[in-house]
Amino acid sequence: MKQIEGVMYQTNAPKGIDPDSIFFVQVDATKCQACGNCEEACATGAIQSINDDGIRQVVDPAACMNCGQCLINCPYDAIYEGVSYVDEVFEKLKDPNTVVVSMPAPAVRYGLGECFGAATGTYVGGKMHAALRQLGFDYIWDNEFTADVTIMEEGTELIQRVGEQGKKGARPLPQFTSCCPGWVKFAETFYPDLMPNLSSCKSPIGMLGPLAKTYGAHETETPAKNIYTVSIMPCIAKKYEGLRPELADSGFRDIDATINTRELAYMIKAAGINFNSLPSQAPDPILGDSTGAATIFGNSGGVMEAALRLAYEVLSGKKLSDPTIKVVRTHEGINAADVDVPGFGTVKVAVASGLDNAAKLCDEVRAGKSPYHFIEVMTCPGGCVNGGGQPLDPDVRASLFKSTVAQINKRFRARTVSA
Amino acid sequence: MKMNRRGFIKACGVMTGYAVLGLNLTKEAVAASMDFVGLRQKSVYDADANPKIYKLRKSQDNPMIKKIYDPKDGFLHEGPCGHMSHHLLHTHYNDRSARVAALKANGFKLKF
Repeated sequence: MKQIEGVMYQTNAPKGIDPDSIFFVQVDATKCQACGNCEEACATGAIQSINDDGIRQVVDPAACMNCGQCLINCPYDAIYEGVSYVDEVFEKLKDPNTVVVSMPAPAVRYGLGECFGAATGTYVGGKMHAALRQLGFDYIWDNEFTADVTIMEEGTELIQRVGEQGKKGARPLPQFTSCCPGWVKFAETFYPDLMPNLSSCKSPIGMLGPLAKTYGAHETETPAKNIYTVSIMPCIAKKYEGLRPELADSGFRDIDATINTRELAYMIKAAGINFNSLPSQAPDPILGDSTGAATIFGNSGGVMEAALRLAYEVLSGKKLSDPTIKVVRTHEGINAADVDVPGFGTVKVAVASGLDNAAKLCDEVRAGKSPYHFIEVMTCPGGCVNGGGQPLDPDVRASLFKSTVAQINKRFRARTVSA
Repeated sequence: MKMNRRGFIKACGVMTGYAVLGLNLTKEAVAASMDFVGLRQKSVYDADANPKIYKLRKSQDNPMIKKIYDPKDGFLHEGPCGHMSHHLLHTHYNDRSARVAALKANGFKLKF
């Protein structure tokens, strides 16, 4: 076990293992104070009391979507991560025969700075690229590039689905986004009948892995077998996604390692890099350049807004003069909107933040009552910026007084009153 | 156990105090955590709207996107959802409901 930015990690880097057999998050029973915050934060009920003292455990990996909302809401540092590739990534960075590729997600650049004393949400994208270069990554490629690719693929898929309605073999509407690995596992587990509604697009990281080992290898004249891809995510569920056996379309494992924002901060500190004094640097081209549409993937409603910036122009044939589409931006809950597209009509969309909200929309689809064309789901409330792999909110652990009162209050409410 | 009138009223007062205080603090804690998320969200939208950080705001305008989808010699020259896209960038899903069904059959209560 290793402590990384206030969270304990088991330092094992699994290979060729069924990810369904791994506990990506688990509770240290010796630290659990039975406050129940994790159980409240858990959308599926995978984490629950296992004895009369109220000690919580993740009861089975099959019921856990690996989102880590339990972990970031635990005031007692009692929840640890089961998988960390940090040691292996350090080894690969030292190996002269391995070409190590960085693949950071949009939300990482809005959380990483907090580990170095910056105010909540400070954008540190340029410093992040400089830090990755100093750590020894050979190519500073960026998952934001494939967020742009995702918009092209998923937007085109949506337009195709709308066009084929009423024809034989038409794929169903609404189309669900497939960027969020917690949500994808949730749909596969609890709503498998809706799998045809999930976009067939891989997530941005699922696209960047194989592109790095095919297109990237070709453009940089690097043998694909020497490339080691490191997915850097605000997320714990991405570690599960990286281990999915089907993600091997490049002829190799598409994603070799997955770390999260906290682990990247740890690596920068362990390497003795002075993060705050770094200059702002650009990523390497080919698989590095991105747009504002890509960076908003980090927020709930962002994939929807980015997709609409494409769909509007394709469907109407007109230029979208102001790309800001505020109506789909979502802080919490469910947000539904009608977007008028000239020459096409109304595009009906919904954004769900949190799996409990996603389930409500899924029930509508299952009942055949869903009016929407396109639904975005993010497992973490607010989106990836609030992911389970992000730096912790200092308020969650700052005040034990608050959590103590919450605990008393919880027990008070839980008491059964006999009439 | 016997409780006199005075003791009963005192106990009621203490319990009400805890309930009110606790309820407000829990609400505050949830609101504070969403404020924290709101700060990160705001920063994301500010970067999107800041031409010094992102010169372009639409995926289809990204020159590297134009390059990879170039109909003549782009790597994905058949366009989005073309043959190469389907091979590398699209996937399929697996029904994972059996294991949770078994869990529920063993008496585990889940929220769905």
